[in-house]
Amino acid sequence: MDDKGWSLKGSLLPLLLLVSDLLLCQGVTSLPICPTGAVNCQVSLRDLFDRAVILSHYIHNLSSEMFNEFDKKYAQGRGFITKAINSCHTSSLSTPEDKEQAQQIHHEDLLNLILRVLRSWNDPLYHLVSEVRRMQEAPDSMLSRAIEIEEQNRRLLEGMEKIVGQVHPGVRENEVYSIWSGLPSLQMADEDSRLFAFYNLLHCLRRDSHKIDNYLKLLKCRIVYDSNC
Amino acid sequence: MLSLCRGPTGMDLWQVLLTLAVAGSSNAVSGSEATPAILGRASQSLQRVNPGPGTNSSGKPQFTKCRSPELETFSCHWTDGINHGLKNPGSIQLFYIRRNTQEWTQEWKECPDYVSAGENSCYFNSSYTSIWIPYCIKLTSNGGMVDQKCFSVEEIVQPDPPIGLNWTLLNVSLTGIHADIQVRWEPPPNADVRKGWIVLEYELQYKEVNESQWKMMDPVRSTSVPVYSLRLDKEYEVRVRSRQRNSEKYGEFSEALYVALPQMSPFACEEDFPFPWFLIIIFGIFGLTMILFLFIFSKQQRIKMLILPPVPVPKIKGIDPDLLKEGKLEEVNTILAIHDNYKPEFYNDDSWVEFIELDIDDPEEKTEGSDTDRLLSSDHEKSLNILGAKDDDSGRTSCYEPDLLETDFNASDVCDSTSEVAQPQRLKGEVDLLCLDQKSQNNSPSADTAPTTQQPSVILAKEDKTRPLLISGSESTHQAAHPQLSNPSSLANIDFYAQVSDITPAGSVVLSPGQKNKAGMSPCDSPPEVVSLCQANFIMDSAYFCEADAKKCITVAPPVEAESRAEPSFNQEDIYITTESLTTTAGQSGTAELAPSSERPVPDYTSIHIVQSPRGLVLNATALPLPDKEFLSSCGYVSTDQLNKIMP
Repeated sequence: MDDKGWSLKGSLLPLLLLVSDLLLCQGVTSLPICPTGAVNCQVSLRDLFDRAVILSHYIHNLSSEMFNEFDKKYAQGRGFITKAINSCHTSSLSTPEDKEQAQQIHHEDLLNLILRVLRSWNDPLYHLVSEVRRMQEAPDSMLSRAIEIEEQNRRLLEGMEKIVGQVHPGVRENEVYSIWSGLPSLQMADEDSRLFAFYNLLHCLRRDSHKIDNYLKLLKCRIVYDSNC
Repeated sequence: MLSLCRGPTGMDLWQVLLTLAVAGSSNAVSGSEATPAILGRASQSLQRVNPGPGTNSSGKPQFTKCRSPELETFSCHWTDGINHGLKNPGSIQLFYIRRNTQEWTQEWKECPDYVSAGENSCYFNSSYTSIWIPYCIKLTSNGGMVDQKCFSVEEIVQPDPPIGLNWTLLNVSLTGIHADIQVRWEPPPNADVRKGWIVLEYELQYKEVNESQWKMMDPVRSTSVPVYSLRLDKEYEVRVRSRQRNSEKYGEFSEALYVALPQMSPFACEEDFPFPWFLIIIFGIFGLTMILFLFIFSKQQRIKMLILPPVPVPKIKGIDPDLLKEGKLEEVNTILAIHDNYKPEFYNDDSWVEFIELDIDDPEEKTEGSDTDRLLSSDHEKSLNILGAKDDDSGRTSCYEPDLLETDFNASDVCDSTSEVAQPQRLKGEVDLLCLDQKSQNNSPSADTAPTTQQPSVILAKEDKTRPLLISGSESTHQAAHPQLSNPSSLANIDFYAQVSDITPAGSVVLSPGQKNKAGMSPCDSPPEVVSLCQANFIMDSAYFCEADAKKCITVAPPVEAESRAEPSFNQEDIYITTESLTTTAGQSGTAELAPSSERPVPDYTSIHIVQSPRGLVLNATALPLPDKEFLSSCGYVSTDQLNKIMP
């Protein structure tokens, strides 16, 4: 199987398969997803989804840790939480907001939505890394996490494009994503404003990574295990 | 729910009931104005009832927690303060607001369900719940905001406890004391794990029944887990809790499962006694001690050295005393030869001994080989080197020893100034001997030579500066020298350095004939040249001259010219004049007859008798046999006695 850049956590793959089997999985029925209907397609799709879920889970973990660290270090007592429910730049993308909506949406659309969200985060993550690097008071762990998140996000995007290519070969939508314009606020001279901008960005990152993780797990159960994880 | 039991009066209670009924029936979603009005009235009534709720410092109602068990609904709980009995619980209200897309809805909406989640709670069902959307809730009491909180639903997920715990026995150990069990459970029913909406992980804890501390196991993603090594004679409790896989907060624990293991069979092994630490320590110490003693006894010597190191003896730097013990003298010598101070005496002694033995003990060996060769040979050089090339002592000592003249000659290079003093005496002896031979040879044929022909004497110094020489010796010398001539043929073998063969009682040294000087013509062979020099040219660099010759040169000048042509091969630079050359000069008046230079002896040294001038020396010719008629045949080497005879 062609996995350019997908060298992450190969050892977790069998464990994840085992877990998936133990989680009341009754086996894989023939899926309408794979056009060829061949076993190879199903297996490879399962592998792709497994890896995608691992990556999204990992990204969400890192984002949570990063946000918690930032919150503990800089945001205490500043009352960010009350002001900080700003919109994220990905809010414009109409993503399902609860389980019913997620179940009603078609999996191709959902896949495309995931792709859009992932693409929207390419630019902000890149600038996050450079700005954290410039921030002198930032601890090293924050910088390393930011770098890791950016890299894994790119990998996840590649993987998702592969999945899309396998689930819906030939269909290629325009690259739609929402533009992030928060860079000036990250570079503000005023420390309070700058820290608030960071807080906001990390909060949004945590949320979106959770969203993607959830969607992927839902999709995996739906596509690979036929809603019977 | 309602604290009916407590209340000031019955009237107040009815009012409270009425208010609550109205509030519960109102449409919370729309956030109608009726509710606040009712609440306001209720609060007023309350205030009337309770004129002074007064000091409500720590009794402020505040949120305790908000929680979503399955990521589909959520509920919030609060405390209503200390005076919950006094105050009307209905006065507390919860309002929420959530963002839709980009904007906040400006209106605060009231809690849709105050009941379902229990007292002092607000329950939001799935229609009110949106994931990944920020919410803000606020708590009001009597219209005034008491507490506020903002969150997103995915952040407050705390699943319900798992259900359906059960256990099965896996196996029993061979000893019949321990057993393994497998615990299984079901995920909480409201969590939609099947569809993958939420993914859970679980944590199991167990303990003995009468213990207080729970033992924790690592989180697992599956719904069953084995528990190992439970004792059969004990009873255990097991409980499980769950959490969403990315969160940190766990849900509540399930009910404890009681594990009653089968009783131990009476035929089981006895209770395994505790690990015999005591015995192990004792044996371990014993074993280590044995090893230590073995080690000590085997390496006794080395340990002794370690404990009591030997005092280092002084040793010469660079020299191993073992070398001396083993007798490797060459090595020691090479080492020591590097240092300048060392003089291997024995080598010195050996060379002395060699030389002494050769010369004194074996007379036959004297003629063997040329002294010059011996002197100039590399062997001798080696001996010199062994002595230490820069060692002057050996040279100096040799200079002052009269017995070892050959070494004196050898060491003439080494001897600096001392040799010059000693040399004249030696020279005298040598020259005497050399010229003795010559004179004896020439005595007979040239006896008729007029003394005047001896005029062309070798003048080794300027005429001007020459003082009146001792002339007397010239005539007598050749007379006296006559009988002393030894074998003429042996004169040819006299070396540049002559070997002393004997010492006469008179004090003169008898030289043994050696090789002739190979370095150029002997002065004795070319007297005519000397004659020529006598008049006009003086040997400038000559150190001494024959007194007779000098006299002759001074007195008789013109006749010298005739013979000046003869024997021009005289080396003007020669310092020394041999009797040979003078003899031939005298014997060949006017004739340019070359004397066979190969046979003439070459007395090169003579002793200084008188120093006439800076450039003139009168040489002593005591032992030289002077030819009868050739006063100057002895090169002017005139003994003091003869001089006295000659001179008045």
